[in-house]
Amino acid sequence: MTGRERVLAAFRREPVDRTPVCNPTSVATVELMDLVDAPFPEANRDPEMMARLAATGYTELGFDTIMPVFTIIQESSALGCKMQWEQKDNWPTVRMREPIWVEPEDVKLPPDFLTHKDTRCVTDAIKILKKQYGDEVAIIGKTMGPWTLGYHCFGVEPFLLMSLDNPGKTKLCLDRMKEATIEYGMAQIEAGADALTLPDHATGDLVSGEYYKEFLLDLHIELVEKLPVPLILHICGRTLDRMDYIAQSGMAAFHYDSKNPPSEAMEVVDNRIALVGNINNPETLFSKGPEEVRQEVYQNLDAKVNLVGPECAIPLQTSIENLKEIPKAVKDWHRDHSTPN
Amino acid sequence: MASINDITNEFVRNEIQEYLEQPDERESVIETFAKISPRMQEIGAALIDGQHKVVDELTLKAIADDIQALEVMDDGLIAAMRIVGIKFRENFIYVPEVLGCARAMKTGMAHIEPILSASGIKPAGRVVMGTVKGDLHDIGKNLCIMMLRGSGFEVFDLGVDTSPDEFLASVEEHEATVMGMSALLTTTMPNMAVTIETFIDEGVRDDVKIMVGGAPVSQEFADDMGADGYGKDAMECVALAKKLVKEQAEVES
Repeated sequence: MTGRERVLAAFRREPVDRTPVCNPTSVATVELMDLVDAPFPEANRDPEMMARLAATGYTELGFDTIMPVFTIIQESSALGCKMQWEQKDNWPTVRMREPIWVEPEDVKLPPDFLTHKDTRCVTDAIKILKKQYGDEVAIIGKTMGPWTLGYHCFGVEPFLLMSLDNPGKTKLCLDRMKEATIEYGMAQIEAGADALTLPDHATGDLVSGEYYKEFLLDLHIELVEKLPVPLILHICGRTLDRMDYIAQSGMAAFHYDSKNPPSEAMEVVDNRIALVGNINNPETLFSKGPEEVRQEVYQNLDAKVNLVGPECAIPLQTSIENLKEIPKAVKDWHRDHSTPN
Repeated sequence: MASINDITNEFVRNEIQEYLEQPDERESVIETFAKISPRMQEIGAALIDGQHKVVDELTLKAIADDIQALEVMDDGLIAAMRIVGIKFRENFIYVPEVLGCARAMKTGMAHIEPILSASGIKPAGRVVMGTVKGDLHDIGKNLCIMMLRGSGFEVFDLGVDTSPDEFLASVEEHEATVMGMSALLTTTMPNMAVTIETFIDEGVRDDVKIMVGGAPVSQEFADDMGADGYGKDAMECVALAKKLVKEQAEVES
């Protein structure tokens, strides 16, 4: 199987020759930026550089996917959020202390939403990658879910307080923001994305599992209906208490965090959704060595997790050696367990 | 030993019975609330329920009736925040609900802080707090600051996206004994270690105790980078700050 075939089969929870190594968020590092001369922040705003840096996930690290969207800020920039683009060794971020929206009526997509430099950069990069690597690996795009857009555009604290004070108003905001998720997702699909990551950070570190059900489950079901490629929901942190709901969303996959033990997570989702994850970033990939990375890969494979990869966007100073160990460990595990997964 | 029936406020009694599961913790909270006047219990109940307008009204009225500001803060607000903290730690409530309670506490503290400042009470310690470079998240840090201030600490808030040099300059300027760093992102956590290295390089690491926190941070990560302590939540942050102030005083004596 090619990497692309392997990944798409795993999203359908069909048999694969080996577990795919998947990167639904970002594996960009400073080392890789230097290797292909595509540093941050430019690699987030220039399609050629974005494609060049993204491709290293396949050409240098050996993953089965390429993800050109390294951050979660492209569409927020196009929506008018104040940005902090940072330098090569730091992530660009949205200045959430300076929100742009207060009321549901404020939620409007600007006319240039899809032609803005920072949204178009991604669609152009996907076109480049599709042409160069489209037959070999899965090209994954990324469109922010309405909950995450809410943090960016309303500010985290005001948005969460609104959800407490006025759930109806919050739902109206979410309903309006989902248009950005759909439009940007469709643009990436038209550009050639095989699948889309949909980060929507309703994490257990912030809100309850019941919050996910009340505010997001129906919206996510609707997004699955409207975006005709496999969707990978990404939520960091503790999510075990909402995985049953997530498994009902119709998403192809859930990208989950190392705070959730693989075997318990697999038990909860019970083959209703594929799981992607969950190699720990700060304590393993960033701080430890290949042997510890290998152990975590094996834990996921032993639990029959459908696709293996880092739990979230990795720290920019993570070593290439540790990242290369993920596909290597997957191949070794399968060599030792010769039955197809 | 006090019993639950010694607490006059029904809402507070119900909260303790429903959410406080650890026997020692439950006993200690009952002991505290049994000694608190019905008026202060009423403020506490409103705070736990996130009713900031009620807290505002009751706090103002208490001060107008010559109740000591310190009593309103300790018995009305901080005692109630302890119950909120336990409910949060045990996942009975989450950040939106905590923010609602924090808003109520802030409303009350807005009336109390000017009175306490004017009275010249010596702070429990001086703490510099900030979110590390590249990270713009501050809810957790702000909750910690609120609880620290409520516990008598003088806190210098550097806000978000704080560079190692800004931490260093602030600790030196304010002669802080404790410094707290927060990060929400796994991508920015390494900047905690970079900041600690800056303190080592400048030869001032022993002048200040450094504590860290944030959703992805763990005790193991804190130990690896050489921090003096890790706090899981705002309640632990206060306990840790008290411990570190004491340790630093012992180092300096």
